[in-house]
Amino acid sequence: MTSGTPILFDRAALRARRARAAGNFAAHDFLYREIADRLADRLDDVVRQFPVALDLGTRGGLLAEVLGRRGGIETLVRMDLAPGFVSPGPGVVGDEEFLPFAAASFDLVFSVLGLHWVNDLPGALLQINRALRPDGLFVGAFFGGATLMELSDALRRAESEIEGALSPRTAPLADLRDAAGLMQRAGFALPVVDCETVTVTYADPFALMRDLRGMAETNVGAARRRSFSRRATLFRAAEIYMAEHAGPDGRIPATFDVITVMGWHPAANQQQPARRGSANARLADALDAIEHSTGEKPGSH
Amino acid sequence: MAEPSVDPKLLEILVCPLTKGPLTYDRAAQELISPRARLAYPIRDGIPIMLIDEARALDDDGVAASTSAG
Repeated sequence: MTSGTPILFDRAALRARRARAAGNFAAHDFLYREIADRLADRLDDVVRQFPVALDLGTRGGLLAEVLGRRGGIETLVRMDLAPGFVSPGPGVVGDEEFLPFAAASFDLVFSVLGLHWVNDLPGALLQINRALRPDGLFVGAFFGGATLMELSDALRRAESEIEGALSPRTAPLADLRDAAGLMQRAGFALPVVDCETVTVTYADPFALMRDLRGMAETNVGAARRRSFSRRATLFRAAEIYMAEHAGPDGRIPATFDVITVMGWHPAANQQQPARRGSANARLADALDAIEHSTGEKPGSH
Repeated sequence: MAEPSVDPKLLEILVCPLTKGPLTYDRAAQELISPRARLAYPIRDGIPIMLIDEARALDDDGVAASTSAG
């Protein structure tokens, strides 16, 4: 992390929450498992083999389970902030903001739900790119966009009603356009980004909050309030959440926007975008349409 | 009982998270030493703890000892 990067997230708090979650993660791992599964599927379309791979934010090694024999991975190095999630190895305790790996160490780097609490996302992506070998692949997924908008809205309104004050309740998140720009800035070739919304339903907002704690995904925003919320505020927030969002079955939805990013470490033999003006067929012909000139020519402005 | 050992393949690719410089492995102390950062990263149960705020700061002696050994 470079100096001058604003501190948005409290990494020490995140580490403590991960350590606490490690003991009972199996009871709260379905969302992680679902996203890991979707990321692993991305390898189905890739012909290249990846003998040495890295699993960032490994949470006990579910990814290895989900991957099976895909990608030709022979060694999967695991890293997490919490020791309880790393063993059995090979693995290290490490921080995405300060990756402890030499340049060109890996053919493939995965990050499943590990980058939304990173202060310096451009720096973390640069370090990931640096750890990749030429033509190595990075596949990552993190929460972004409107993740947990129902909860943050209910908490905000309850707090303002009951305490007459506001504190930052949910984390600042990246959106799809940020992600695309960041991948490019980090020097990835052929970057692809997309966003999928996963809606999870819960019996009530307290079940959601328990699950967030179990996943170590409660707010670690540096500007969050440190004192406990008043019971009255939490109950009011739950009431608002139910009133606004409960379905006919009484269950409540929680939105998770999952941003997926993919990019390659540049290599000479990679597929390159075609040179501008090198096409030898007309788009209008392909579309069977009549072409109307706009009067502009390439390079005329 | 012997300490669980660190995977040798892992040792080859680990660098100091702060400087990205090389590390020397102190088997007796179960530490990975970054001479440039003057930090010693602990190895617990065979797992290197590559966190800057978990590392032991080295005094001048520590640095001298690690460079003469490595």
